[in-house]
Amino acid sequence: MSLYAGSVSSDGLPAGCRAVALRTNRELTEITAYLPMATSHDVVANIAATKRLAIVATYPPDHFAVQLKGTTTAVRLAADDESEFVHARLNTFVDVLHRIGIPRRIASSINCWPAFAVDMKVEEMFEQTPGPKAGTPIR
Amino acid sequence: MMRLADLSRCFQGVIPSTVVTSDGRGMPNVTYVSQVYFVDDRHVALSCQFFNKTRRNLDENPRALVEIFDPLTLQTWRLRLRFLRSEKAGPLFDSMALRIQAIASHTGMSGIFRLIAADVFEVERFDKVEGFLTEPAGDPCETTSVEGVRSEVRGLQYISERISRAESLESLLDAMLESLDRYFGFAHTMVLLYDETTKRLVTMASRGYGESGIGAEVAPGEGLIGTVARERRLLRISGLGAEMRYGRTVRKESGAVTPEIPLPGLPDAQSALVIPLVSGDRLVGVIAAEDRDPLQFGEWHEAYLGIIANQIAAGLDRMTDHAADDDEPALVVKPSGGAAKSGARRTFTFYRNDDCVFVDGEYLIRNVPGRILWKLLGDWQREGRTEFSNRELRLDTALGLPAIKDNLESRLILLRRRLDEKCPDVRMVPTSRGRFALQVDAAIDLVER
Repeated sequence: MSLYAGSVSSDGLPAGCRAVALRTNRELTEITAYLPMATSHDVVANIAATKRLAIVATYPPDHFAVQLKGTTTAVRLAADDESEFVHARLNTFVDVLHRIGIPRRIASSINCWPAFAVDMKVEEMFEQTPGPKAGTPIR
Repeated sequence: MMRLADLSRCFQGVIPSTVVTSDGRGMPNVTYVSQVYFVDDRHVALSCQFFNKTRRNLDENPRALVEIFDPLTLQTWRLRLRFLRSEKAGPLFDSMALRIQAIASHTGMSGIFRLIAADVFEVERFDKVEGFLTEPAGDPCETTSVEGVRSEVRGLQYISERISRAESLESLLDAMLESLDRYFGFAHTMVLLYDETTKRLVTMASRGYGESGIGAEVAPGEGLIGTVARERRLLRISGLGAEMRYGRTVRKESGAVTPEIPLPGLPDAQSALVIPLVSGDRLVGVIAAEDRDPLQFGEWHEAYLGIIANQIAAGLDRMTDHAADDDEPALVVKPSGGAAKSGARRTFTFYRNDDCVFVDGEYLIRNVPGRILWKLLGDWQREGRTEFSNRELRLDTALGLPAIKDNLESRLILLRRRLDEKCPDVRMVPTSRGRFALQVDAAIDLVER
C-alpha cells in the first residue's frame, strides 16, 4: 500500500509526509503509522500540538483507497526491532511500484529509517477511491 | 533560483499527487489527485470533479499542501498553497476539461467524470523534500537539447517541403507520418480524416503498429481521438493508467463479429498526443501518437506540432479542394482477362442495407468506398472493364458522393489500402492523373444481399 499522513498546525497550516508502514489491530480501531524521521518534522510537530492525524492507504494498481482519521495517543522513535517490519513493508511497496513501471532501483531509495512510530485511535474511516463515492464514511 | 516551471515533469500526471487540507475545526484531510496543473510560476490548479471533502475544506480554510513527484527520479516537492478561486469557464477550464472528457469517454465514464471547476491556487512557496530519498536524485528540470531543437526545425522544414511537393493525398499522408518518426521520434502514429458524409473520422494511414487499422472509424466525442476532434484542441496525456487501457482490451478480447476495424494501438501505451487538423473552421482530421515512455511528449512538442498541424491541415484541404481529375475524354475498355492467375477464388458480398462489403466472409469496407468497390467489380465482371477514372465516379450519382468536398481521393486510398491488406488478389493501381486500373488475379463471385 501507498501511505500518506496529513496533519494541521494549530494555526491552520496543513502538513503531510509519506508513511512507510502501518500496523493495525484486528478491529482497525488502533493503528501505528511509521513516518520517516527525515521528512516528517512538520507532521510530528503538528501532532504534538493538535493530536489530529489523517492517513490515506492506497493500492496503486487500482487506486483503491481508504482514509483513517483520529487522535494520536503516542509518538515515539521506532525501536530497532521494528526496523525489519518497516523495511519489509517498504520492499512490498517497491514491488507494487515496479508493477506500474517505476524502477526498483529508484523506488528502493525511498528513505524509511529511522522512523517515528505514531499510535492513533481511529475515530473515522472513509472510502477514498477516486470517484463520486470518495469521502463517504465507512464507519 | 529555481522556478516552479523547472518542475514541469512533476506536472505531467504520471504519479498521482497528494493534497492535504483542513476543515474549520482543524481536522486534516488527505486525498490524491491525478494531476496538478501548472498555470504559471505563481499559480497551480486542481480539478474539482465532485463536491468532495477537499472542496468543502477549502471554503473553511484556504490553505493546502500538495506533494508532487518527479516521475523519473521520485524526488518529491511540497507546494504550500492558498486557494484563490474556482473557474468554471475560460481557457484554463477548457484545457483541464478536455483531458477529463477524453479520459472519461475512453473509459466509458462520460457524464460521471466531468470537470465542475478549475480550482486555482497561489503557490506561496515550494520546497524540495530533503531526505525523501537515500540517494541524491538527478536534476528534475526538463530541458530541450539544442540538437533536439535543430532536429525538429529540420522536421518542420521537411514537412513543409513535402506538403508543397506532394502530388497525391497518399504521398502526403505517408510523408507526414515518416517525418514525425524521423524528426520527432514518434514511432507509433496514425492519421484519421473526417468524413463529412458519415460524420466520422476514418483511419487513413498508420505507422509503427503490427496491424494498420486502416479504415477504423471513430465518432467525434468518442475516446481521446474523438474528443480532440469534437473540441478541436490538442491533447497531451502522460501516465496513461490501467483504466485507460481497459476499454481497448475488452474490445480486443470480446471477439465479437462486427464490421468494426479496431483502431491500431499499443496495449501498454503510457502517453498520448492527439492533434486536431483544422483548416479555417473546418475539421479535416486528427493525428494521434502514443508511446510506452510516459514522458515522450513534452510541452515543446505541443507547441511545435501545433504549427505543423496547421500546415498539414492546409495541405490536406488544398488537395481535397483541387481533386486530381483527368482531362481525357475517352476511357479505354479492355477485356477483363479475368482468369484467376493465382488459382484463387474470392467471394465478395454486398449488403444493401448498410453498404457493407465482405470478402470471403470477412469485413472489408462500407459506405461510399463500399459502393465504389461494388461498382468497379460489377463493371469488371459485366463489361470486362479494367480502367476507370475519378471523373466518372464523381458523375455517378448512385455512389452518393457529396457535391462539394467529396473526398473522393481519400476514399479511394482507403479502398486501395483495405484491398491490399485483405484481398491482394484485387488491386487498384494508379495509371495516370485521375485514372486507375483494376487488376484482378482471382476468380470473383459477386453476391448481393
